[in-house]
Amino acid sequence: MKLNRRPAAIVFAAGLAVVIGGTAGLLLTRHSTPAMRPVAAGVGALPAPTGPIVAPPQSAQPKPVASPVGLTIPLIGVSTNLITLGLAQGGAIQVPGSTTVAGWYNGSPRPGAIGSAIIIGHIDSVSGPGVFYRLTELHRGDDVYVKRADGTTAEFRVTGTQEYLKDHFPTQTVYGPVPDAELRLITCGGAFDAATGHYLSNIVVYATEVK
Amino acid sequence: MKFRSITRRISILLAATALLLGIPVATAFASSATSGTGWIRLAHLSPNTPAVDVYLYSFGNSNAQIVLHHVAYGTVSPYEAVQAGDYSVAMRGAGASATSQPVLSTSVTVKAGKAYTVAGMGPKSGLRLQVLDDDLTTPTGKGEVRVIQASLKQQTVKVTCGGQTIVPKVTFGNTSSYTAIPPGTWTMAAIASNTTAKDVVPVAAGTVHTLVVLDGSNGLELQSLEDAAGAGQPPVGGAGTGFGGTAGHGPGSPLPWAALIGAGLLVAVGGGLRLRRNGLRRQMNTGV
Repeated sequence: MKLNRRPAAIVFAAGLAVVIGGTAGLLLTRHSTPAMRPVAAGVGALPAPTGPIVAPPQSAQPKPVASPVGLTIPLIGVSTNLITLGLAQGGAIQVPGSTTVAGWYNGSPRPGAIGSAIIIGHIDSVSGPGVFYRLTELHRGDDVYVKRADGTTAEFRVTGTQEYLKDHFPTQTVYGPVPDAELRLITCGGAFDAATGHYLSNIVVYATEVK
Repeated sequence: MKFRSITRRISILLAATALLLGIPVATAFASSATSGTGWIRLAHLSPNTPAVDVYLYSFGNSNAQIVLHHVAYGTVSPYEAVQAGDYSVAMRGAGASATSQPVLSTSVTVKAGKAYTVAGMGPKSGLRLQVLDDDLTTPTGKGEVRVIQASLKQQTVKVTCGGQTIVPKVTFGNTSSYTAIPPGTWTMAAIASNTTAKDVVPVAAGTVHTLVVLDGSNGLELQSLEDAAGAGQPPVGGAGTGFGGTAGHGPGSPLPWAALIGAGLLVAVGGGLRLRRNGLRRQMNTGV
């Protein structure tokens, strides 16, 4: 009897060990990097003010804004120059030639002007992380800074992150007009299709200027 | 006894596994982008009405969310982002107590991703608050312009863009529909029977503009507002911003882990059942 019980107990224990190992592995691959994430201040205050705000009683006139030249996102260690991007043949957005530099799409408003400014960066190269590798770690309330050619800096706060299948990319939501100064940071994400050499999705981080 | 404790252990394991599998899936992209907020701006466009204080209340909340003090004729505030929902807008005489009876009030429902202008319009004797739906779309490669006619002295105006009529006739207190405009720097003109007001307006593709026709101190005045802007030539599809160098390193599919956990559970259940069978056999052998 004892001899029979022992193998059964061993099988049971081994099964348990595999389950525990499996869940540990799952957890480690899910929550590896954001462990040190600081709590962002003022998250709850976005975007609707809690108390009455007093706006200057003047009509809104577009302010002149200089071209963007640099991008800093302290939380995910991004500090890069911004190059200027246009459209590629076929009408798709141009992407930076280097995977370590981000770029501003010159068909979109300048960051800090009214409208949705578009900044594009690679998630990775063929061998390692690109400038926007950690973009998905951004959450509502995180800070994004855009340096401009005249030395001024526009400060933005993240309002949300979305993953879209490239086949169902919501052009109007991402590129369409908005009535305040906003930023969209775009990179790749989702599953990687080794056959085509492309990711199947895009990650879009939405941010609004802090006035 | 033993069987029950084993099944309990297994069910706890199952629940924990489901929880572990469920959590990352649910939180990965739980934050929503633009959903949840819309935009609102407030305007005073009644020529013979003195300055007012304008209040915006979230429905059912007596504390104002936005207060604009001493808003004079011709003022259009910047847009404010607000949570989607029901609001009321109240106008009081400039300097009147915040708890006094408003001169005017109206309700407005803000939908997520939509923009609204709430404007005091018409003559003082017939002042009313109008809620205008503001467009946030443009035809590809073009801008858009509309006209708010807020001149009492000139009841009817025509508006031209680069000499071409874009709004043949708009009367006091009314708003035209939007007209698509090719990108360029255009001379816009509001033309009444014996007076004209002009403004030079740069219209980029993907931008939405409002022209406000006002009574100036002398004749008409034309105020141009850039309401919204986007990519004039929206790129086709998404962006090819990765080469897969980290595809294996990132948090890939949870399925292999789930399969491993499932296999472990099967083995554990098998072992547990054998333990139980052995236990029962022992009980029978000892005659209990």
